[in-house]
Formats: sequence, C-alpha cells, structure tokens
Amino acid sequence: MAEQLREPVVDQIYSLNLGPQHPSTHGVLRVLLDLDGEFIIKADPIIGYGHRGHEKMGENRTYKQFMPNSSRMDYLSGMLFNHGFALAVEKLSGIEVPERAKYIRTICAEMNRISSHLLWFGTYVMDLGGFTPFLYAFDDREQILDILDSVSGSRLTYSYCRFGGVCKDVGTDFVDRTRAFVKRLLSRFPDYHNLVTKNIIFIHRTRGVGVVTQEQARQFGVTGPNLRATGIEYDVRKAEPYEIYDRFDFNVPVGSKGDALDRYNVRLEEMVQSCRIIEQALDQMPKGDYHNESAAFKVRPPKGEVYFAVESARGQTGYYLVSDGSAFPYRCHIRVPSFGNLHVLTDVLKGTLVADAISILGSIDVVIPEIDR
Amino acid sequence: MGHEMGSDWVRLVVGLVVVLAFSQLNALFLVWLERKVAGHIQLRPGPKEVGPFGLLQTIADGIKLVGKELITPATADWKLFIIAPVFVFMPVLVGFLVLPFSPQLILRDMNAGVLLIFAFSTFTVLAILAGGWASNNKYALLGAVRSVAQNVAYEIPLLLSVMSVVLMVHSMRFAEIVQAQDKLWFIFLQPVAGLIFLICATAETNRAPFDIPEAESELVAGFHTEYSGMRFGLFFLAEYTNMFIVSAVATSLFFGGWQGPFGFDLHIPGIVWFLMKTYVLIFVIMWVRWTFPRLRFDQLMNFSWKVMIPLSLANLLVTAVVLKFI
Amino acid sequence: MAKKDDILQKLREMLAEDAIRMDEAYKAGVAFSAQVPLDKVRDVAAAFKDGGFYLESVTVLDFQDTVELVYHMNAHEPKSRVSFRALCGHDQPAPTVSDIFATAEWQEREIHEFFGNPFTGNTDLRRLLLPEDADYYPLKKTFGKVHAYVKREEIYG
Repeated sequence: MAEQLREPVVDQIYSLNLGPQHPSTHGVLRVLLDLDGEFIIKADPIIGYGHRGHEKMGENRTYKQFMPNSSRMDYLSGMLFNHGFALAVEKLSGIEVPERAKYIRTICAEMNRISSHLLWFGTYVMDLGGFTPFLYAFDDREQILDILDSVSGSRLTYSYCRFGGVCKDVGTDFVDRTRAFVKRLLSRFPDYHNLVTKNIIFIHRTRGVGVVTQEQARQFGVTGPNLRATGIEYDVRKAEPYEIYDRFDFNVPVGSKGDALDRYNVRLEEMVQSCRIIEQALDQMPKGDYHNESAAFKVRPPKGEVYFAVESARGQTGYYLVSDGSAFPYRCHIRVPSFGNLHVLTDVLKGTLVADAISILGSIDVVIPEIDR
Repeated sequence: MGHEMGSDWVRLVVGLVVVLAFSQLNALFLVWLERKVAGHIQLRPGPKEVGPFGLLQTIADGIKLVGKELITPATADWKLFIIAPVFVFMPVLVGFLVLPFSPQLILRDMNAGVLLIFAFSTFTVLAILAGGWASNNKYALLGAVRSVAQNVAYEIPLLLSVMSVVLMVHSMRFAEIVQAQDKLWFIFLQPVAGLIFLICATAETNRAPFDIPEAESELVAGFHTEYSGMRFGLFFLAEYTNMFIVSAVATSLFFGGWQGPFGFDLHIPGIVWFLMKTYVLIFVIMWVRWTFPRLRFDQLMNFSWKVMIPLSLANLLVTAVVLKFI
Repeated sequence: MAKKDDILQKLREMLAEDAIRMDEAYKAGVAFSAQVPLDKVRDVAAAFKDGGFYLESVTVLDFQDTVELVYHMNAHEPKSRVSFRALCGHDQPAPTVSDIFATAEWQEREIHEFFGNPFTGNTDLRRLLLPEDADYYPLKKTFGKVHAYVKREEIYG
C-alpha cells in the first residue's frame, strides 16, 4: 500500500488545481490540492459554481411552484427529491394520500434510485479507464428513462408528485414494462460482476482506497451508501419508515471496511434490493385514486414546522419547512447528503496519492449542484 | 557490378516509397478499425456515415486535423516543441525496413534486424520527453515523465523475452528466426516469453491498461496536451504505426511470420499469412483496451519491476539451461 | 436505553424546566426540541457528542425581532432525531461548534454567508457557495423579494 514515508519539507509543497473543468469531477467541482510529490497534504474543495438560490426561491414560490425546483437540485434523484418534498408538505398540512398513489410514488422512486446508481457505476468505471461498462449501464438506464418519461413526461427532472398523490395515473403498460425491465436488469448483473467486480485491475484500484472510518462518518454527517460501507447500518427507509416502506421485505447492504470497493458493492447490492421492492410493490398495488381530489389547489399549511427525511440515492435528504400559514413557505431549507459526503473528503484525501484522488472522488458519488442548491 | 549496385538502389528507393505508402495506409486503416472495434464492444455500430462502413472516416478526420491551426504556446521552447512529433514518427518508419513480410519482401534483411527495431523504438521515448518538456505545462511534463518511467521499466522484460528467442535461434536476423519456426511456432516452445512480450509491447505503445501518460480522465491530460492540429495527428499516427510494428515483431518472433501452422502453407502467399496474424494480434491489443480499467501508476511500476523482470529473467535462465542439455 | 432517552435526561439537568418540548408522535419530525440559551450551545453540543449523536444540519430562521439557530441532531437509531434551538440577534456573533462536530465548519460558513451571523471560533469563514467578494447576505428577509417578515411569536406562539 502507498504510505507517506517522510514528513514533507515545507518549501517542496506545490499546489495543483483539480477542476473546475475536468472530465472526472461530477458536476462543477474545484479541489485545490497541496501536494508533496505525489502525496496529497491538503485538499480544499471549492464549490458554489452551481449556486442558483433554491432556498431563496423556496420563500418566493408557492409550495406547488417549488416542486420543479426540488428535482433540479439533485438531478439524478429527481423523483426521490420530489417524493420527499411532497411527503414533507403533506405531513405539515395533514393531507391524506390514496393507497394507489403511494405505491406509484414508491415504484417510481426506486426506479430513480436504480437509474442514479447505474449512472454512477458507468461513470466510476470510466474514470478508472474502463470505457465499456458505461455504455452497458446507459443501455439499462435508457429503459428506466423511457418508462418514467411515459408516466411523467420528463426523462430526468421530474415534477411528478403532487400533494396528495401523483399528477397522472399509470396504466397496465407501465406495469408490464417495469416488470420486464426488472427481469432484464437482474439478468445483467452477472455480466457486470464478471466484467468489473471480479476484474483484478479494478480490485487493485479500489481495495483499501479512500477508507472512511465510522468516526469520520459521524463527525462529517456522512449518510447513505458511504455510511453503510463503513459498517453502520442506517437507512432512513428502515429507521423512520415513510410512505409504505414498512410493508416491503428488503435488506440494507452493509460494508465492513469503508473503502471504495465496499462502497461499490453496497451500491450494486442496493440496486438488487430496489428491484425486490419494485416487484413487491407491483404485486401489491391496488386500484383506486391516484390523487386526493379534496386537497386544496393552493396548499396553505397551518403555522408550524416540519423536518422530513427521505433516503435519496446519495444519502439522507432532509426538507425543513417552516410555514407561517400563507401559501408561501417562510423557510425552505434542504439538507443534502452530498454536503457531508464531500466534506469528509478533506479528511480522507490527506496522505493519499494523487492518482487515487480520482478513484476516491468517484466512489463517494457526489453531485455538486445538490450542494450548491 | 555497377548494374547490381544500380538495381540495388532502385530496389531501395522503390521499397522506401512502398513502405511509406503502406505505413500511412495502415495507420488510416487502424484508426478506423479501433473505432469499429470499440463501437461493437460497446454495443454500438461505430462510424458508418462517411464512406461504406465508415471507411473514409479517418480521411475526414485527417482533413480536419490538417485544417486546424497549429498553436505553439508562447512560453514553450518552440524548437523542441516542433521537432518532437517528427521524432516520434520517424523511428517507427525505420522499423518497416527489416520486417519479414515474406521471404522475398524484406527490404533489408540485416543480421541485427531485431536489435535495429528495438534500438529505434527507444527514440520515441526521448521524443515524448522532449514534447512534454517543451510544452512548459505542469501536466504535460508529468505525463511525459511518467511515460519515460513506464517505457524504461517495460523495455527490460521486453528485451529479455526477445533474448530467449534469439538464444534458441542463434541469430538476430528476422528471416532466420522465421525460418526456424517452420515445424513449430515459438509460442508453443516459449509461452511465457510470448506472453511477457505481448504485455510489454502494450506498455511500450502506451496502450490501455498502461495508458496513464495519455489518459484523459486522470489528473493530467497527458504529454500531448498542448499539441493541436497535425502535430497531434503525428503523435496519434505514431501510436498506431508503433502498434503495427510490435505486432509484426511478435508475429515474426513467436507466431511463425510468413508461414502457415506446422509448415502447411495451404497455398496462401506468405505475405497474407503475415498480415493476417499481425492484424489478429492488433485486434487483441484493441480488445484489451476496451475491456480493462487502468492501472494506477505505482501499481504499473511495481508490476514491471517486481513481476515482469524476475519472470523474464527466470525464463531466460531456463531457456539457457534447457538449450545446454539438448 | 435508547440514545435519545439518555440525552433527554442529561438535557433536563442542564436546562430550565420548560425548555424541552416533547413530541412523541414525531409530528414535526423530531422526538423533542430544546430551547437553549446562546451561551450554553457549546455545552449542549458537547453533551450530544458524548451521547453518540451526529449533527445533521444547522440552519437559521430570520424573524423581525430575533434570529433563531436550529440544530438538528440524529443518532444512528430509529426515530432518534432531536433538535435544539438558540435565539440570537441579527448579525450577532454566535459560538461555533465546529471543533465538536467537523461538519459544522461548512454549515456555519454557509449560514454566515447567507445570513450574516459570524461564528466566533470558526477559523475558516470564507464564502462557501457565493463568490468570494460577495458583500450581501441573500437569505436575510431584508434582501431582495420577500413575501413575509414576521415576529417569531406569530409562527411559534
């Protein structure tokens, strides 16, 4: 393993700029590295290139008008962010959701999780130099995007959820296509494992690289697959079951060492578990309303606040809404998972090789616009 | 006497012209082949618009490259900067002089043919270093330095594996090495040396999984960052021509050159056998590129110094011992 | 005993009688919420750290008469989110908790650049999301287009 064998001499430190235009930083990220030879002494991420003022917009839009904003923060988990926002407002206002709508939302959310993980898988291996799995993963992802396009009208940034359900019902076409897709995806995993997971070069690039300890995870607020790779079994869907997740039988994959290989394995296994949830949901989905018609068109929640957390593809996303009784939120704060996931890198990158920095950055799976809001 | 000398000169000039033409056409063909192979491995068709099956795509790319502005950075050392791409391409062409395309089609069957090819291929390392240094760019220099380290490290097991073959044939003349394989190809007698040669050849030509010096998705963009237009085109073509040369050498040393398997010709001319085998090896090199991720640089160096070199030394030793007792 | 019960006991000892508001039904997403005086924020944070909690998010609510810092803490256990809040004035310096929880360093940077409250003890208060030379505080209710700017008691009673 690569270790720093001597103390760096101060006048030999030079700084190198990684980004903001770089093929491997996901989103617009600039990391200022202080290097001693090939070892990183200090890593300082500089963000804010994608700041659009979503939280200020949140105070100037009605609740319904903010729904498109929510999916543009983390554009890869747009449906999950939509879902979380709808749930938060429904909790604040006490709006009921019909059963069918709950199932539809859960299925779409899990499909979104799979598509986000597939994209991460493709781009991560591409960063390491293996160009081919990227195209195989995108082949699968195209099917998800087509299915979600047929129900919601958008491929990437959805505004599908409404307060009290969804905006459009799904037909048998959706059910058949989703079932076929899940079947096909499960049959593709042996290919992915043969091509990537068992590849000796890939294992050498990821085993023992970028270890995040449990204490670091706690200090920096790391959540999601990065946290589970360190060994802490915490998934918001199991810890604070929302919607109908307590009706499904699924496992939460956990790693042990917290290195990049563990993070990779956790995410691949999460895709399999999401497939399980989708299959069970498709079996259990009842007929009925897709939207609570009695919900007011312009939602005016009573005075108060709510903090609602959902498990998005990258970790725990929290919506903190404060309502003053009007149609506009008084404060709309979103706690995004990539914030802590990126921050932990300032600690993890110390003492690692520059060549590993790309591998570690890729394995953490950050989406910068989510941090910038 | 004069007549022989005259025909000698004519033969040389004609041969050089043919070699130049062939190397250009070959490079064009290989660029197209790479894109098609990459496409089909990635479940997509690759170029298909320009010309039948996209065969004229490379010509279109070449015209585009020629039309681009040749930018020389203001702070670069312009003499070295301009010379470097030329020096990368030139030595590779020299290799064509000694390749045994068929019993009659060797331009110059030198008695140190093997040595000549490897001596000239080392020039490219100097040229890459010159290009990286002259660019006056932190990233280009890092890429060039890594390329030099990689090339030096993998040159040694390459030459040691070639030595094992030369020891068996007692000659460095390509024609004799090929003729010595008329009963059995050397790949069956020296499988370890053959494998080492192929791996080191991939590393020598800076192909994946050993393409750190020119990798786009790593921290540095590689030694040819600052090159634009046809200068970049020369680096690019040199890589593909180099790939042809090492595959051709592998064919001659291990796979029987212009001969058919086990001496059976099947009435196919020698040059066809030679080119067929060479292109199959090139295809394998391309196949490897699109399948495997990249090794980290220190893992790459460890692999060479701690695995390849001891293995090739042991192979040489075993060859010597076995030959002593046969 | 669950971590949140442990910390509840500890907080009852540290704070005044009516400072803790329980919410067993988890209506607002927290098990309980504690009102903490500004000078006791660091002690409370240290107590949470010893209790095995991690800092989920720090944010600020801007009211006409006061500014409220809201800290959300969570432990890696089911339904363990708790929050504690501190009141301070507009642009008044607040104590940092970045030496107790490393994530607070960036969260406080964000609060400072959006609301204007500096944090004493936070060594790095550069702009995080805004440009380095920004001299405005966007999320303040006196900046830009604002729909409502009320006193705290109008929402929380």
